Amino acid sequence: MIEKEISVIIENGLHARPAADFVKKVNQYKSKVELVKGEKRINAKSILNLMSIAVKEGQTIKVIIDGEDEKEALAFVESFLQSGKE
Amino acid sequence: MKYVSLVLISHSYEIVSGLKKLLNQVQPDVSVAIAGGAEGDIGTNALDIKKAIESVYSEKGVVILFDLGSALINAEMAIEMLEKKENIIIADAPLVEGAYAAVVEAGCGSSIEEVVRASESAKELAKLND
Repeated sequence: MIEKEISVIIENGLHARPAADFVKKVNQYKSKVELVKGEKRINAKSILNLMSIAVKEGQTIKVIIDGEDEKEALAFVESFLQSGKE
Repeated sequence: MKYVSLVLISHSYEIVSGLKKLLNQVQPDVSVAIAGGAEGDIGTNALDIKKAIESVYSEKGVVILFDLGSALINAEMAIEMLEKKENIIIADAPLVEGAYAAVVEAGCGSSIEEVVRASESAKELAKLND
């Protein structure tokens, strides 16, 4: 299992379109991917869970990833939240 | 078809037409059909709904979302009229948030059950959270 704090740099945060793109891509990894913001800990593979934490530009969130491809998944999450790209 | 398709039903053509545009931007791979209004006026029409379902029918399934009560009656009638009724599910979900969740889930290649579950969980979504 790996945990990492990530500063969200993606412009305007994870609004409807990038959030959908994020969920689609993160579902391609086998690992369990969770995001923690404040007291909320959510499953990053669910769009509604993701909407419920409203990830905004400039915030810091924690990513917790567990599974066989956790390193690859972390690299993806990190680069997506920092640029909106893979 | 690789993905579950969606059919959006509203009493207003403009509501579903705008919603379809939004969903197509969010997830262009998923087929979305609409049935809105009745003969150019406010209402719903079972024949239009039937045609909409047929236009996006997928072996993987079709999820139907509707706005207000009486649309449900016409949606059920439309399904009755279809020759292929398998794998068509009406979701008990709010139209906008439910359709958004459904299109994202469908775009992940999920099963019809997962798409329905995603759209129905939109009922629990807290929209204000800070």
